[in-house]
Amino acid sequence: MRPLTEDESKAVFAKLANYIGKNLVHLIDRPDEPYSFRLHKDRVFYVSEAQMRLGISVARPNLISLGTCLGKFTKSGKFKLHITALDYLAQYAKYKIWIKPNGEMPFLYGNHVLKAHLGRITEDTPEHQGVVVFSMSDGFGVTARSTVDTRKLDPTAIIVFHQADVGEYLRDEVCP
Amino acid sequence: MDVSDILASHAAKFQATTVEKDIHLDADPGCLAVSDLNPIDEESYNLNLEEHLQTLARDGTQVLINALFSLPTTSSPDGPLAQLPPPVFQLPRAKPLPKPKPPTKWELFAKAKGIQKKRKEKRVWDEEKQEWVNRWGKGGKNKQVEDQWITEVPHNAEVNFDPRKEARDERKVRIAKNEKQQQQNLARQANPRETRKREIERDLVQTRISTASMGRFDKQLEGEKKPHGIKRKFNPTEENAEDERKASLALLSKIESDAKKMRKDPQREDNIVNVRKAIRHASKGKGALAMAGKSDGKGNKRKGKR
Repeated sequence: MRPLTEDESKAVFAKLANYIGKNLVHLIDRPDEPYSFRLHKDRVFYVSEAQMRLGISVARPNLISLGTCLGKFTKSGKFKLHITALDYLAQYAKYKIWIKPNGEMPFLYGNHVLKAHLGRITEDTPEHQGVVVFSMSDGFGVTARSTVDTRKLDPTAIIVFHQADVGEYLRDEVCP
Repeated sequence: MDVSDILASHAAKFQATTVEKDIHLDADPGCLAVSDLNPIDEESYNLNLEEHLQTLARDGTQVLINALFSLPTTSSPDGPLAQLPPPVFQLPRAKPLPKPKPPTKWELFAKAKGIQKKRKEKRVWDEEKQEWVNRWGKGGKNKQVEDQWITEVPHNAEVNFDPRKEARDERKVRIAKNEKQQQQNLARQANPRETRKREIERDLVQTRISTASMGRFDKQLEGEKKPHGIKRKFNPTEENAEDERKASLALLSKIESDAKKMRKDPQREDNIVNVRKAIRHASKGKGALAMAGKSDGKGNKRKGKR
């Protein structure tokens, strides 16, 4: 476990800012308790300072997880968000999408969101914007098109590229 | 009772333990191997190959087992164990022979002059101590003058003459000379191409860390290798949370300001006409103010001499 380097912080912040924009400040500058980002086995954890100090006493090979896993660094140095980051993304998300009940299951099986399944969308969402997908179950993805464009699209066009969803808790057991 | 029939039938079932061949079979119990130098019997070979091979193998194995049983044994909980002699058969070498070391300058000279190498013993006899002492190293003979408690000083010696220091310096000079010669030998034997390559690599590493920031803010070139021996440094895990928060906020504001600088003109897609370019074109490079002056009419134009 170690703090992120500047390059790593940049990658993490850039990815988070795609979803929550300037609300990222609220993650760093919290009124209740100091929180910090920690890297452990290529995974980035968002952890309160008190918890982090407790975690220091655990030997590195024995430490599986602490705090909230936001995502992980790939071998090529890119940062990928995990579904476990949803709590924080949903809380601060700038752009949201609600999908109809008949679109829930396809999304939870890891598919993209089609226009036909779109229930509601935040106004003036630009394209390639990170969005949080709401319904009875949640996940997040990246918009394929802007809100203006979606008006003219046919029902089978992809609206949201799938990134992660709560179905991953069942599908991918490695998710911490 | 006559048991000769039974004995004969029993003997027929089992072959003799001795193997009779034209050329004696060589058993090498050390390798657990037998070599059969007899020529192949063509007739039985052609008649039935499997049977021929089996009889050959049987004979060889029999000879090997005979040899094994004639060896001295030691008893063990698992039964008697034969003690194998060292192997006789020379197995071929797996690796190629090591390349001979390139000769040193002295070796070349000695060869040209026909000087034989004399082996010096590591220990020499000390007459005073009446024992064997090291020629060099701990308590070595070469340090005798430095170590003795009293030393004769020559008549014409200077006032501050120190015989111990003198002897020690002499010894150190000899060591330095030998080391220098070793280096020269290595340099003579080295591949000049490899040497040059190493030199260039060393210079490159040196130049990369020779900026004011020790190369921290340098641009990395495509395909540039990470220099060896430069370690990454991470902040301590148990950092002050306040400092960390400040650093994160600073980084965040830096990312934002960078993004602002990089941001493209948002209305670029909507404006089909590039206004700036159109103005420049219409005013023939004089700018919007010149155009405004033109629309006012002719009264604005300068007249007469200045």
